[in-house]
Amino acid sequence: MESIKKKINLRRLGTLAITLYIVFLIGPIAGLDVPAIAAAIKANPLQLVQFLIIGISNGAIIAIIALGYTMVYGIIELINFAHGDVYMIGVFTSLTVLSVTGTLDSKDPVKIILGLILALVIAVAFCAALNASIERLAYRRLRNAPRLAPLISAIGMSFIVENVGLMWAAQAWLVPSFGTTGGASQKVFPDMIGALFKATGFNGGDVNLFASTDIALRLTAKDVLVIVLAVALMIGLYLFVQRTTLGKAMRATAQNRDAAKMLGINIDWVITATFLIGGGLAGAAGLMAGLYNNTAWWFMGFRAGLQSFTAAVLGGIGNITGAMLGGFLIGLLASFSDGYLNARWTNAWVFATLVLILLFRPTGLLGEQTGQKA
Amino acid sequence: MIKNIRTGLSFGIVAGLMTFLFGGWSVAVLGTLMGVGLGLGLGGRFPRKDPLKIAAAAFPSGLVAAVVLILLSLYQNSNVMDAIGKKPFAEDLALKANLLGFFGTVIFTSLLAALHGLPEKQERFYKMILLAILVVAFPFVDQATSLRWTAQIIFALIFVILGLGLNIVVGYAGLLDLGYAAFFAIGAYTTGILSSPVHSIELNFWLVIWIAAAMAAIWGLFLGAPTLPLRGDYLAIVTLGFGEIVPVLFKNLIDVTIKEPLTCWILPLFRIQTKCIILVEHEDLTLGEKGISPIGRPSLPLLELGEPMGSAYLIKLALMGLALALVVFLLVRSIRSGNKSISSLIGYGVALVGILLVFIPIPLTGVKFIDSLLGVLQPGEFESSRPVTWYFLIIGLILLSIFIISRLRDSRLGRAWMAIREDELAAAQMGIDPVKTKLAAFAMGATFSGFAGAFYAAYIRGIFPSVFDFSASIIILCVVILGGIGNINGVIVGGLVLMMADRLFLPALKDFLSLLLTHTVLPSINDPVVQMAVKDNANPILYRFLLFGLTLVIMMAVRPEGLIPNAQVRAELHAADEEKKG
Repeated sequence: MESIKKKINLRRLGTLAITLYIVFLIGPIAGLDVPAIAAAIKANPLQLVQFLIIGISNGAIIAIIALGYTMVYGIIELINFAHGDVYMIGVFTSLTVLSVTGTLDSKDPVKIILGLILALVIAVAFCAALNASIERLAYRRLRNAPRLAPLISAIGMSFIVENVGLMWAAQAWLVPSFGTTGGASQKVFPDMIGALFKATGFNGGDVNLFASTDIALRLTAKDVLVIVLAVALMIGLYLFVQRTTLGKAMRATAQNRDAAKMLGINIDWVITATFLIGGGLAGAAGLMAGLYNNTAWWFMGFRAGLQSFTAAVLGGIGNITGAMLGGFLIGLLASFSDGYLNARWTNAWVFATLVLILLFRPTGLLGEQTGQKA
Repeated sequence: MIKNIRTGLSFGIVAGLMTFLFGGWSVAVLGTLMGVGLGLGLGGRFPRKDPLKIAAAAFPSGLVAAVVLILLSLYQNSNVMDAIGKKPFAEDLALKANLLGFFGTVIFTSLLAALHGLPEKQERFYKMILLAILVVAFPFVDQATSLRWTAQIIFALIFVILGLGLNIVVGYAGLLDLGYAAFFAIGAYTTGILSSPVHSIELNFWLVIWIAAAMAAIWGLFLGAPTLPLRGDYLAIVTLGFGEIVPVLFKNLIDVTIKEPLTCWILPLFRIQTKCIILVEHEDLTLGEKGISPIGRPSLPLLELGEPMGSAYLIKLALMGLALALVVFLLVRSIRSGNKSISSLIGYGVALVGILLVFIPIPLTGVKFIDSLLGVLQPGEFESSRPVTWYFLIIGLILLSIFIISRLRDSRLGRAWMAIREDELAAAQMGIDPVKTKLAAFAMGATFSGFAGAFYAAYIRGIFPSVFDFSASIIILCVVILGGIGNINGVIVGGLVLMMADRLFLPALKDFLSLLLTHTVLPSINDPVVQMAVKDNANPILYRFLLFGLTLVIMMAVRPEGLIPNAQVRAELHAADEEKKG
C-alpha cells in the first residue's frame, strides 16, 4: 500500500518537474527570464513593494468580480459569462452618472463626494437589476435543460451586453469623449480622486500619500480607497452569507436545491437574490476600477471576466473566501507579470496559471463548495 | 392548404424585401433560391404518393410567393430606387429579371416538392443532383448577373467547414469548445509561415494544407490532454482562455529567443559552470500586428486549358470528360447496387476527381509528379480576380469534410462520441475510454479548422492576429447552434444563413439605410447633433454582436435543437418537456 502511495507521489513530482522545466524553457519567450528578473529585483528592491501595492489594488477589484462568479456557480453550477460585462456596464453607469450630474467638472469637494456616492449607489442598483434580469430572461427557463444550454445562453447574453456597452460608449451625451471618436475606442474615466485632492488641498493636493516623504514609493489614495472598499464589501458579504436567514437559505440551496425546496425555501427568490448581490458587487467593482485605472472600454469586461473566473477557480469555485484569496493572487500575478515579465504576455500568464491549477489542484486552493446536483 | 399558402406568402415577402437591398438581377437569383427552399420545406408536409399531385398541391403557394416577389421587386424598381436616389434598372432588363425570378420560384417550388412523391432513395438522389447543378451553376450565374456574391459565399463556406469541425466537438461529443478559432488561427499561421516568401520556405499549398490540418490536430491534443478529464464547464473556460491566448501568441512571437534553462542559469546557481546552450535567438516568426503577407496560393495545371482548340486543350477536355463520365458511372452503379449512403458516394466521386486532377497533368506536361505537387508548374495559379476557382476549391474541401465526417459519425468512434455525450459514466462502463474518445473528437474537430485556416490564408493572401479573436469562435458556435447541433445538413444551412446575413445582408442594409436616410429623414432634422446621432446609430453593422448574441439566447430558449435538428439531440433536449406532459 505504502509503496503505491510513494509511486504516485513520485509520479506527481516528476510531472511537476517536467512542467517546471517546460515553463522555464518556453517562458523566456513570454518574458520569464529568471536571471534578468533576479537582477532587476536586486537593483531596485523598492520596486517590488510598488508592484505589490498595484497588485493588491487590482486584485481587490478582481476579487469583487470573482465573488459574483463564484456565488452564481455555487448555487446553480453555471458560469455566468455575462458577469464580466455587467462589470463593464458598471464602469459606464458610474461614468455617465458622474458626467450627467456635472461632477466631472466640479471643483467643489462636497459635490464631488456626493457625486461619487450617487454614482456608487446607481451603479450598484443598476448592475444588480441588470444581472437579475439576465437570469430571469436567459437562464431561468433553462434551469433543467442539459448543461450546455444555459452555458450557451450565457455566452449569448455576454455578447448582447457587450454590444450594449459599445452602443452606450458611442453616445456622446452619455459618455464624455475627451477627444476619442466612436464607441469602439477606449474612453477616459477622469481621475476624480485626484480632483478631490486638488479641490481640498489635502496632502498638498497630491494623491500620492508618500509625496511629502523621501520614500520613492507611490501609494495613492486610490489604492487605499479601493482596498478599503473591497475589504468592507467582502466582510459585509461574508457576514451576510453566514449570519442572515437569506444567507443561510443560499448556502442550503447551494448544497442541495431539491432538499432546500422541500424545506420551504423559495428557490427562485434565493437565486434572484444571488444574482442581485453578484451584480451589485460588479457595479461597485466597476466604479472602483474606473476610479483606479481611469479607463472605460466596452471590451474590458471580457478580459476582467477571464481573470476573475481564473481567480474563482484558483480559490476553489463556490468558495467565497477562496474567491477573495484568488482575486488577490491573480492581481499580484498580473502586476508582477506587467512589471518583471512582459505586459503583453500578462493574459497568457494568467491563463497558464489556470491550466496549471486545473492540472495539479482542480478543486482550487481552499476547496470547492458546490452542491450535489441531482 | 391555407398553411402552405401562408408559408409561400411569408417566403415571398422576405425574398421581395431582400430585392430592396440588392436590386438589379437579384430578383432572379433570389426567386430561384426561394423556390428551392420553399419546395424543400413544402415537400415534407405531404404524404409520399403521386409526385404530380404533390406538385399540383405545392403550385399555389409557389405562385403566391412568386407574385409577391415580383410585385415587391417591381415596386422596388419603380419607387424605392427613386427614394434612395439611385437610377432604376433598365426596363427591358428588369422585365427579364422578374420573369426569370417568377419562373424560377414556381418551377423549383413544384419540382422540389414533387420529388417527395418518389421513393426515398430516389428522392434523395434527385435532390442531390439538383442541388449539385445549382451549386455548380451559381458562380457562373453570379458572374453573368454581376451580383458579386461569390466572394462573400466563399467566406460563408469557410465558416461552413469550421462549423462542421466544431460540430464534431460540440455536436457529437458534447464538449463545449469556446476557443475553436484558435485552431483556425493555427491552421492559417502554419500555412502563412510555410508558404510565404517572408520565411523563404514557400512550400506548395497542396502540401501545406495537410500540414496545417495536422498541426491543428496536434494542438488539439496538446490542449485537450490536460483538460479533458475535467468537468465540462472547466473545459469551456480553458478553451476560452486558449482561444484568447493564441492570437496574443501570434501577435507577440516577433522576437523569439529560447535558452536551455539548466545550462544557462539553474546549474550556475549551484556554482557549476556550464556553457549556455541557445536554441533559437531573435527569430521573428509571425511579424506581429503587420501579419504575414503575401502567402503562396494553390495552383492547378489543369486550370490553364491552353490555347482554345489547340491539341493540348482538346486532350485535356477529353480527359476531363472521361473523368466525369467515370464518376457518373460509379455513382449510378453504386446507386443500383443500393446499401450505400449518398454522402459516401459523393465522397468516392470527389476523391476520384481529386486523384484525376492531380494525375491528368503528368502525361500532358511531362513534368514529374512531385514537381507538379510542389508548385514548380506555375500556370493556373488561383487568383483573387477569379473567385470561381476558389469557390470550387472550397466546395471540394466541404465535400471532402462531409465525406470524412459522415463516415466518422457512423464509425465505432462516432458512436462512442455520442455514447459519451449521452452518459459518460454508462459509456465508460461499456468499455469506452472517455478521455481517449474525447481527445479524438478534439483532434478531429481541430483538423477541419486546419483545412479552413489553410484555405483562408491562401485566399486572403495575408493573415493578421486580430481576425481570430473570441468573436470568431462565438460566430462558429452560432453557426452550429443555429443550424442544428449534431447535424451536417443543419450546420451547412446555419453557416450559409448566418454568414450571408453577416457579410452580405448587413452591409447591404447599411448602405440602403444610409441612402434612404440621406434622401428622406436627415434633411428635415435641423439640429446637427441629432442628425449625426441618427446617422451614426442607423448602422446595422454596429449591432452585429447583438444579433449573434440574440441568436444564441433565442435559439436556446425557443428551439435549442436548431433549424434542422438531429432527431437524437432533439429528443434529448425536449426530454424535460415530455416529463412535464407525461
